[in-house]
Amino acid sequence: MNKILNRAAALAAASFNGQGQKAPIESPSGQEAYSINYEDYSEVNMENYIIEMLHITKEFPGIIANDDITLQLKKGEIHALLGENGAGKSTLMSVLFGLHQAEKGEIKKNGEVVRVSNPKDANNLGIGMVHQHFKLVEIFTVLENIILGVEPNKAGFLQKKEAREKVMELSKQYGLHVDPDAIVEKISVGMQQRVEILKMLYRENDILIFDEPTAVLTPQEIDELMDIMRNFAKEGKSILFITHKLNEIMSVADRCTVLRKGKCIGTVEIKNTTKEELSRMMVGRDVNFVVEKQEEKLGEVVLQVSNVTVPSKISKKDAVKDISFEVRAGEIVCLAGIEGNGQSELISAITGLEKMSRGKVTLCGKNITKAPIRQRTKSGMSHIPEDRHKHGLVLDYSLEDNLVLQRYHQPEFQRGGFIKRPAVRSYAERLIKEYDIRSSQGAITIARGMSGGNQQKAIIAREIDKEHKLLIAVQPTRGLDVGAIEFIHKQLVATRDAGKAVLLMSLELDEIMEVSDRILVMYEGEIVGELNPKEITVQELGLYMSGAKRNMEKENSYAE
Amino acid sequence: MQNNQASPKFKDMITGITKSKAVSTFTAALLAIALGLIFGFIVMIVAKPENSWYGFTTMLFGGLRRLGDVFYYATPILMTGLSVGFAFKMGLFNIGASGQYTMGMFFALYVGFMWKLPPGIHWIACVLAGMVGGMIWGFIPGICKALANVNEVITSIMFNYIGMYLVDMWIQGNAVIYDSGKTRTSYLPVSAQIPSLGVTGSNVNVAIIIAIALAVILYIVLNKTTFGYELRATGYNRYASKYAGMNDKRNTMLTMLIAGGFSGLGGAFAILAPSTIIGSSMTYEPINVIAANGFNGIAVALLGSSNPIGIIFSALFISHIQRGGTVVSSLYGYKPEIIDVVIAIIIYFSAFAMLMNSNVARMIKKRRLAKEASGNPGNDGQQDRKEA
Amino acid sequence: MDTIYYLVQNMLPVAVPLLLVALGGMFSERSGVINIGLEGIMLFGAFFGCLTVYGIQRTGMGPQMILLVGMLVSAIAGIIFSMLLSFAAVNMKADQTITGTALNMLVPAIVLLFSKMKFNSDGITTDVNFYIQKVPGLSSIPVLGDLFFRKTYLTVYIGFLFLILAAIIFYKTKFGLRLRACGEHPQAADSVGINVYVMRHAGVALSGFLGGIGGFFYAVGVMDGNANGHTGVAGFGFLALAVMIFGQWKPVRIMFAALFFAFLRILAYSVALIPFLHNLNLNQTYFKMLPYVATMIVLIFTSQKSRAPKAEGIPYDKGRR
Repeated sequence: MNKILNRAAALAAASFNGQGQKAPIESPSGQEAYSINYEDYSEVNMENYIIEMLHITKEFPGIIANDDITLQLKKGEIHALLGENGAGKSTLMSVLFGLHQAEKGEIKKNGEVVRVSNPKDANNLGIGMVHQHFKLVEIFTVLENIILGVEPNKAGFLQKKEAREKVMELSKQYGLHVDPDAIVEKISVGMQQRVEILKMLYRENDILIFDEPTAVLTPQEIDELMDIMRNFAKEGKSILFITHKLNEIMSVADRCTVLRKGKCIGTVEIKNTTKEELSRMMVGRDVNFVVEKQEEKLGEVVLQVSNVTVPSKISKKDAVKDISFEVRAGEIVCLAGIEGNGQSELISAITGLEKMSRGKVTLCGKNITKAPIRQRTKSGMSHIPEDRHKHGLVLDYSLEDNLVLQRYHQPEFQRGGFIKRPAVRSYAERLIKEYDIRSSQGAITIARGMSGGNQQKAIIAREIDKEHKLLIAVQPTRGLDVGAIEFIHKQLVATRDAGKAVLLMSLELDEIMEVSDRILVMYEGEIVGELNPKEITVQELGLYMSGAKRNMEKENSYAE
Repeated sequence: MQNNQASPKFKDMITGITKSKAVSTFTAALLAIALGLIFGFIVMIVAKPENSWYGFTTMLFGGLRRLGDVFYYATPILMTGLSVGFAFKMGLFNIGASGQYTMGMFFALYVGFMWKLPPGIHWIACVLAGMVGGMIWGFIPGICKALANVNEVITSIMFNYIGMYLVDMWIQGNAVIYDSGKTRTSYLPVSAQIPSLGVTGSNVNVAIIIAIALAVILYIVLNKTTFGYELRATGYNRYASKYAGMNDKRNTMLTMLIAGGFSGLGGAFAILAPSTIIGSSMTYEPINVIAANGFNGIAVALLGSSNPIGIIFSALFISHIQRGGTVVSSLYGYKPEIIDVVIAIIIYFSAFAMLMNSNVARMIKKRRLAKEASGNPGNDGQQDRKEA
Repeated sequence: MDTIYYLVQNMLPVAVPLLLVALGGMFSERSGVINIGLEGIMLFGAFFGCLTVYGIQRTGMGPQMILLVGMLVSAIAGIIFSMLLSFAAVNMKADQTITGTALNMLVPAIVLLFSKMKFNSDGITTDVNFYIQKVPGLSSIPVLGDLFFRKTYLTVYIGFLFLILAAIIFYKTKFGLRLRACGEHPQAADSVGINVYVMRHAGVALSGFLGGIGGFFYAVGVMDGNANGHTGVAGFGFLALAVMIFGQWKPVRIMFAALFFAFLRILAYSVALIPFLHNLNLNQTYFKMLPYVATMIVLIFTSQKSRAPKAEGIPYDKGRR
């Protein structure tokens, strides 16, 4: 206990004079080493904290999302909140923003206890938030979105003119380059995020929360965002930056609080720590990011995509422009790129969920360009869809009914149109065992009541167990914790080692680099690069993803 | 926690939950009914306080005195209830049961009057014609929904009006069917009437048996066949059913076709019923009014929570209080519309009841999730909750 | 030319109920609540409006004054009745389509029950003459006077006044902006401190207000001051929904759609006057079906690209954002 207090004091001292000795933090005794006695800590620095969340506990029925978490934000600092998916970061921020109420604990602003029972309270306290999923009304203009809720008005009539001037001024001041009269659904995702930022500035918030802001941005846009955030901090605004990306924390944050499974692991000074350290705090053990793989044994071409063009649903442009590539048996090909560069549309066209306007797709030599989805499935296509709730599962069906979703029509499971219940049951029980799908009632559990990781396992079991030659996996690890991610990566590699072709679409750079045998980078609807993960660095991959670099020569050879 | 090993305790838990869920569905329906009746009672008190208690009890139990009639009047709304409930299962709201019912009635009438067929076959032909009529009238909104993505609610409402106008015009334009002196349809030939079950003083006939049999068949189709599996999957999650390669468009059209057929049968059963007075038959008066039995079918379907077996009982219940209502109006000077008020209130609260059910379902989910979370440390349930 | 005058003069009193009710639907749906109960709200408004007229027709009040009083009562009745929908849809998070259907069934039953017990008839008959032969002064303007200021009802002018007001509220006020946000993205509205529940209640209440008045104006302009529980408002509430969809949930477009549907209806009842149609020698029923058939056709062609408010029909649940 003494040791802990000492460390706390050292950390406090370090943060106080700002140039404490760079002491490497070791953790021989596991997570305990990071526990900090907040009472002591806060007394030393009280006048410095603009926002304090003390001993926050938030429970959802059956789950403690936040268990006695303390987070203290200094004025003018960039404070990162790090944790895995499901660690409780978003819940904690929802509590601060008034979307949820904590059962225990208190929030202080400038040392005084405050109540935040709705977003309006938060706004009155100067707290603004850029949500992970933007809260923008798509059919409104930028200006209308910014003023919504704080409309300047005379007797209820909108006074847009003065608002426009203020927005233009702010936009100029911070170099945001936003057109106030553009319709939100017609501007890029990066621009939409700036609208969200402008919303906070317009309300003159000085505590800014960014919830996973970089997931949707290109590397360039990320750099610009980092600059914007530094600017804000320089002007005395305080920033809470939620992320699970260590590089970003290392580059921009002053301090970092780490959460794991709803518990607070500790707060560290960035200049006194390392990436490895942070990752160990986040996951609770040394993470082996390396996926074990055998040498690839390439077989015949399984999927051939030639000159495929897919129209966009939002704009009049094409989302996918004349793309050609092939996937062979025994390899994992990864479609990489920033979200919204046509990957989803390309996958939808290949799987048959959407129509393509031009081009040809063949599966094992069979033309499936216009084939209905059922026929594609029968020809050997398995598909782990992007959105497991929307496409992957019938949430109100039992687990067993979901496990036969692609196969219920096969003679094994039906005779004369009547479903063979015993066959379904024993099949489901086999998959549950083989893939370790956990649920409260086994085969008859309603899928809605299962955890996300187990829902995804069920989909993977269904798609991999089904007879197939090609597995299409779209962001298969999104929103899952490290354990589930490792399981899924193993399954993907095993499928490839069994001689199947795998087409993986991913947004996570680590996943792309570790799992794939070949990377196809998409940018604005085109393949701008074909890369070998063994030969390139993440930085290089980033350049391709942002469109700054391309190597197109190889691609043309597939075109017919 | 070893989930796939069914210990006795585990089994108890399952039965406990399934029981509680079924019970909650039932109690929710009962609650809606109770609220509807209470409101009806209040209306009675306001209208005629001195007779209200007798009136109310008669409304509740008066139907028992005319059990044959309860079954007779239950037949058409059982059919429209199955029609609406079946479409509900696929996520479609067949508010057009009325038009399909009217169309079915006309087709049955037409075959009844215009075709000369031997007895024993004639009424069967009429019933089948009614089914075809309803099918056509359900199929068109189905096509519009499947191919042009037109909201089936609006189209089927429009089809109620179009069907009603058309049928009234056709009937008035046909001298054989229409008796312009009485401004009603003429009496159907006996061969076209459905055989009676022989209950004295009641019109109850073979149709109720056919209707119940159809409900049972529908139950089997929905729950035991691949078609039913697809249908319910589509109703729960249209996107997932598409992803799984189910033919959404075909199933939508097929569902509306079948739903229309059921309503059409309802119309045929209503008009082809035998009369207790020899030499007469059921008649229809074309006065440009939408058939109420179509809308009552919605109440029936909701009360039976779209389950065909549940619909049998809810149809009998609605018919029962309707009969009670007739008795009330004849004995105590109330008007039969009081029952329509009660039925409308029941529908209104049934929409709440579905919410109550989903609340119960959510509660169960939370309980399960908690169990799972405690037994499965590597779980990411919290994240999932936030996404939901 | 006389035929055109006749058509326009008769079209406007029919168009106005459609216009008002469709505007009501617009407010409700743009706030996020599907209001299929408009048919019921209309009849409810019509019934109470006519009941009021019946009550005060012998007091010596001028007919136009009686109309205004009736309108006020029908508006209040509409608002009160619409609260049944907003309570179910917003507070109880019930299925909005089913609730609306229940309300549609409830009103005729209540009207019939009441009328039968009170008047021993299917509805209310009044005998005030609301008709305006000509508006002094304005009716002598060439062409326009004949088109818009002769043989008409006060309802027409009130209706267009409400259109202008509705458009201003919808686009120029804080309230309108917030209302539209709630129908598109309630989570966004909530995150900036707007009370989604209140806005949705307000949207439905406005639809009750306009729906009630629309129903009364239907009774005045189409039914000659009567309300009947059996025939109700002949599906005008549903037609208004179609008008609203055809008008893409936007006020001015809704006006044109309402005029179009009213024109079709007047055509159906004026076949005898138009030689071309008369010579077709079709059963009049075909013309009566015209508005309904036109709705179908219009919907088939507009449904693919029509853009309904994104969040309509989805109950907003604060706890589950």
